[in-house]
Amino acid sequence: MSSFIQEITEGKIDFEGQHLVDLIAKSVLSGSAVVGFLVGFALQDLRVTFGIMALATLTLTMVLLPPWPMFNRHPVKWLPSVDTKAKAE
Amino acid sequence: MHSIFSRINNVSAFLSSCMMALLAAIALSSFVFTADPHGDLAISSIKVVSSNARRYPNKKQDLAFVHFNVTADLTPLFHWNTKQLFLYLEAEYTNKQGVKNDVVIWDRIVRRKEDAVINFAGKNKYMFRDISSTFKNSPPASYSLKYNVMPYVGLLTYGEAARTTEAVAFPPTQSRL
Amino acid sequence: MFTEELKAFKRLGFRHVLLQVLNFASVIASGLMIWKGLGIITNSESPIVVVLSGSMEPAFYRGDLLFLTNPANQLYQTGDITVYKIPGADIPIVHRVLETHDTKPKQSSKTASISAVPLSRQRLLTKGDNNYVDDIELYKGLEWLERKHIVGKVRGFLPYVGYVTIAMNDFPQLKYALLGGLGLLALIQRE
Repeated sequence: MSSFIQEITEGKIDFEGQHLVDLIAKSVLSGSAVVGFLVGFALQDLRVTFGIMALATLTLTMVLLPPWPMFNRHPVKWLPSVDTKAKAE
Repeated sequence: MHSIFSRINNVSAFLSSCMMALLAAIALSSFVFTADPHGDLAISSIKVVSSNARRYPNKKQDLAFVHFNVTADLTPLFHWNTKQLFLYLEAEYTNKQGVKNDVVIWDRIVRRKEDAVINFAGKNKYMFRDISSTFKNSPPASYSLKYNVMPYVGLLTYGEAARTTEAVAFPPTQSRL
Repeated sequence: MFTEELKAFKRLGFRHVLLQVLNFASVIASGLMIWKGLGIITNSESPIVVVLSGSMEPAFYRGDLLFLTNPANQLYQTGDITVYKIPGADIPIVHRVLETHDTKPKQSSKTASISAVPLSRQRLLTKGDNNYVDDIELYKGLEWLERKHIVGKVRGFLPYVGYVTIAMNDFPQLKYALLGGLGLLALIQRE
């Protein structure tokens, strides 16, 4: 039971998933900052700029934080364990 | 980035860097707008009345009552990073003791572009008094309308929108209005 | 309850704990250095202040962050927003200058040789944008505000950021919870 809760709260993803999350977060956030600045400047309205930023942040929390299956498609393949004890006997 | 907490940590750290850069860019973008609007300011009448001082009821204190007209179109000062305009009308003079005085006698806060066309006729809002308690023999004062552009984020900027063409003399003191 | 943490603590060992303490101290020291360095550059005893009252609304609200400078060779002007501290009052006040009265100092041969142009003695009166009357009641018996009472004038503005400190003042439990949490994190972090 406790391990189940731990798994839910930890929300582990694999290494490829971590790389993907990092890439998405950096590109979307910096992209929306640039787009928000340009669109807000063109429309002369700061609310547009911060609206775009808020929307991007909200989307990112939905997409990146839960351990969606797409971040777990490359599980680590461990080598088979070598039975050293059996050999010794 | 393996657990939810480290993902929250990393994403929010990058978000705050992005926000800082964005705010800095917005603050810097204000320098692109270099409007310098000008209007007109005319003093219609001045009266100087002898009255009792505010703190010392036994002391006499001259108060000046200034009636003026201002017209100015300050809409060019409003851009995406303008939160409000603080307008103030000040009197500038050097009294006979050689003290240089700047006294704000009227102000107005403009919060919307639609209200930025100023057309006002009236008298001073704040007490106009000399530090030596009398305007007798004081050299004439010139009056100017100044503004302070206050941004949503960034640096505060100041400017002058109007000025009386020549200095206006103080009339002799009356005992009552 | 804390057995896990204690175990982790033991595993890290004494040197690791010392390293964490050193890290913590260096963070605090560099923060202090930045603060004092800014103070020297801006010539102001506190170059960044948080707005605590609503007397400058709608320009500044509670929690807005203000950046100050206090140029030593410049007089203040009407319309400048100053931060001043009256002796005996514990919180600094952010208000706009309403009147300035500059008296030229008497030219004596001694002072003239030391500094080329001595600064005028300046007397100021301030007023909050959101108040109806000027600040003379706030001056605790002083007639005018003088240069020595002024911390600096507002040059830059950043909204809302300072609200954290106001929240911590209004709810002191939050401050202790935050400090304790940060301390615990710094000590038991494994990376």
